[in-house]
Amino acid sequence: MLSTIALDTQVIQKDLCTGCGACQGMCPYWGSVEGRTICYFDCDRTEGRCQSFCPKMPTDLEALRAKFFEGSEIIPEIGPFRALYLTQAADPEIRKNSQHGGTITALTEFALKEGFIDSCVMTKSEGGLNARGELATTAEEIRACSGSSFQIPPTLAVLNKTLKENKYKKVGVVTTPCKGLAVYKMKNKPLPEKDNNADNIGIVFGVFCGWGLDWNGLEDICGKYSDVTKLSHMDIPPSKYHRMDLVADGQEIHVDLDEVEAQVRPACHYCTDMTCEFADISVGGARSADGWDVDKSWNQLIVRSAKGEELVKLAIEKGVLNVKEVPETALEKLKKAAAGKRSKAVAKAAEDK
Amino acid sequence: MKWYLTADDPGKVCLLQGNEAIVRGAVEAGINFAASYPGSPSSQVLGMLGEIAEERGFYAEWSANEICAIQACFGASLANARSICVVKQNGLFLMADALHCGAQHGVKGGLVIVTSDDPDAHSSTNEFDSRHTAKTANIPMLEPTTIQEAKDMVPYAFELSEKLRQVVIIRLTTRVCHGRSNVALGELPKEIRKISNVGEWDRLTCVNFMHKPMLDKLDKAEEIFETCEYNRIEGPDFSENLVICGGTGRLYAKEAIKRLGAEEKVTLMSLATIWPIPRKYVLDRMKAAKRVLVVEEVDPVIEDAIAALAGREGINIKIMGRGTGDMVRIGELNQDKAEDGIRKLLDMGPRTPDKPVADLPAREMNFCAGCPHRATFYVLKRVLRMEKVYGCSIGDIGCYFMQGQNGGFYSNQMDNCMGSGINVAEGLGQLTKYGLDQKVITVCGDSTFFHSIIPGLISAKFNMSNVILMILDNSATAMTGFQPHPGCDVTAMGKPTQPISIEAIVRAIGIEPVVADPFDIDDAVAKLRGLTKKDGTQVIIMRQPCATLMSKRVKVKKRVYVDQSVCFGDDCGCNRFCSRVWGCPGNSWDFKAGKAVIDTVSCVGCGVCAKLCPSGAIKVEGGEE
Repeated sequence: MLSTIALDTQVIQKDLCTGCGACQGMCPYWGSVEGRTICYFDCDRTEGRCQSFCPKMPTDLEALRAKFFEGSEIIPEIGPFRALYLTQAADPEIRKNSQHGGTITALTEFALKEGFIDSCVMTKSEGGLNARGELATTAEEIRACSGSSFQIPPTLAVLNKTLKENKYKKVGVVTTPCKGLAVYKMKNKPLPEKDNNADNIGIVFGVFCGWGLDWNGLEDICGKYSDVTKLSHMDIPPSKYHRMDLVADGQEIHVDLDEVEAQVRPACHYCTDMTCEFADISVGGARSADGWDVDKSWNQLIVRSAKGEELVKLAIEKGVLNVKEVPETALEKLKKAAAGKRSKAVAKAAEDK
Repeated sequence: MKWYLTADDPGKVCLLQGNEAIVRGAVEAGINFAASYPGSPSSQVLGMLGEIAEERGFYAEWSANEICAIQACFGASLANARSICVVKQNGLFLMADALHCGAQHGVKGGLVIVTSDDPDAHSSTNEFDSRHTAKTANIPMLEPTTIQEAKDMVPYAFELSEKLRQVVIIRLTTRVCHGRSNVALGELPKEIRKISNVGEWDRLTCVNFMHKPMLDKLDKAEEIFETCEYNRIEGPDFSENLVICGGTGRLYAKEAIKRLGAEEKVTLMSLATIWPIPRKYVLDRMKAAKRVLVVEEVDPVIEDAIAALAGREGINIKIMGRGTGDMVRIGELNQDKAEDGIRKLLDMGPRTPDKPVADLPAREMNFCAGCPHRATFYVLKRVLRMEKVYGCSIGDIGCYFMQGQNGGFYSNQMDNCMGSGINVAEGLGQLTKYGLDQKVITVCGDSTFFHSIIPGLISAKFNMSNVILMILDNSATAMTGFQPHPGCDVTAMGKPTQPISIEAIVRAIGIEPVVADPFDIDDAVAKLRGLTKKDGTQVIIMRQPCATLMSKRVKVKKRVYVDQSVCFGDDCGCNRFCSRVWGCPGNSWDFKAGKAVIDTVSCVGCGVCAKLCPSGAIKVEGGEE
């Protein structure tokens, strides 16, 4: 089957596309508009990288884990595992503009400085809207990408373009779970002759994810409750609060989660991965007995690979990351939450069947 | 300037193209007035008339559309002027109302319509047969079989028109318009007709009490046609096997009869008087024959007429033709097809078909190298696919009709006739309030805008339809050969005139038009996409002159080339995007190097492909803007 048709019929029309951008940036055929993946013109290739990299096309997950996570424990709920930390950026300036503890910003900046990576593909947004992929090559550019978005931009299109240019040889990348899987599919070189310089992929920084939102749906919600030009931040506190928080002009606005969940991207309902199992390290919001007011300036961090371990240990040693003691129950709680997302997705898939 | 069009040299034999023969015929007829809207295959006629109009003391114009043209001719006729109106089949159908009314009120000065049909649709969307119009409008119609006759029939038609005080139509087909043959020139009139003022009691009005006089004129025409010198018999005067031909059918049949050595067995009747049929003339031969084959271009018009005649007269004769399926029902005739029919007539068994010289690949039509329409449709296709629900795209008639093929990225979902796009889209746009969840985008060219889009745009705006009109302004009626239209600054006679502003018209309708350059792809995409976010009737003008026009104007074209050290060839994810998808004839594939290459002969240097190459391998250098 032609690759463009395969992706269109098996992924896009089936509402499985997350808009990650893995199919984009290598050719003039694929693009993205407001989070929607668009095939502009039909291509007559059957062995396209577009379909080989797509995280929603068939994948041998076992083989990927075996190949890239040698020596790591595989925990069924959360994937490859070496250690769990509670961390935050030591630099309060980073924490001020970041999601939660600013661990990703601090760690990517540190990795760049220490030469673990020579550039980093990240997601940039304006307070969570107009999200887009960016190639950051300096600490300033990395800091400009602080903060989360619930729109899902085709960030991997930027990774593909960067790899194609072949200028940077250790390209870090910050990914949601769908994107993380795509990046490991790229690293696996399904089309060895046309690998798009996959060896230049550096450290993969995973981000926990519950779901992403419809591009225009999120814009509408933000527009309804805030002045979007003054939007600076958005977050989802623990589930007991049942709300989304928007910060505009310094004011925190609460939006009922029911209204937000109505805008969840259809593809996300089928996602079984909460913790970004395919990454060197994965980072998410902290959940502890200290409560949300404390937790919101901390992160949970899963170390998954040897390279991730080396980076995190050095960052802690050099005082770039603050750490605090991980409660005994933390891992179990995390596993339970991840299993919860997975079982919902499986139920959704079974329902469709 | 073609000297033979106006040479006063009776009897001189010149090699004339059919369209030139019509011009020469009009000059010999001493016309005072000519009006036309371009349409292949007779587009060139008015262009040539415009060039010689001043010298010969008549007036010639490109009208905004065919209705304007014929009605202007009726006006001229009221002042006793001889006027000629040149159209193609679609133009004749467009003016149907004017023509039927005109036939009822008749003419004062002679009025001849030259209509050119396009069997096989070489340069049309259809092969409609004009001859039906003669019948429905009760207008006499002639059809020449040769280029000499095409010329000679023009003065003849004017004489007839004035004798009958009725419009006369001359029907041509592509082969007559575009063919060339020796033509003996006729005499030029010493002076052309004086224009008369319209008298207080002169009348040309379409009222129903003129119905009977109109039919009387037709009867009179038939009487004249009974002895018309252009109807002729070749071969035995009477025989069992009768072949009746209309127009070019005569030459095809003649050649086929010769091939079959059947000259003595077949009576070949050629009818130049298509409507009304000279019944007595035809009946005499039919009564002597057992079988008759009708060889005519496109529809069974003569065939049906003689079948009705045979039925009425109770003649027992077998009638064969395109209507009975004894000859191929569609497409243009040729000698082989005529031979197939004559073999059936003579019970000779089927012809052995010739082997094709080579198996040529089927090819789609395409826009010229550097054509701005390609860029426009590239932009359109992107925007259509950007929509949450793929947008609906409605075409119109012009070069951009090729929107439906590779050159237009298969972006056309409906095409009706000239001026239809905005109306079709208006209807669809209304349905967006009743459940149609799509953007509706339609296109038209600049010439088509003036021809028949304006009322549709007014209707859409007044009725608040959700529709986007893209006006493809390439400053030319490009498809038919760069005839000036009301947006241009020169008339058919070469006089400078004030061009009519498309923007001003659109603004007057109450729409603020957006103007984009299709060659600035990203900007044009952003502008068109901006309009898709708006409700109501929107207009975007895609402005970039026709590449063919520009390549004539620009002295030094830009040099566009592929830096093959940068092009990845088949290793690139683009999958030969430049030559395969963009598809400009200037973008080619170097099979030896396995890389893209520019065909420097075709390339006009627009440089758009350089903006599309994902590797930046296509370079642009120098040249004039």
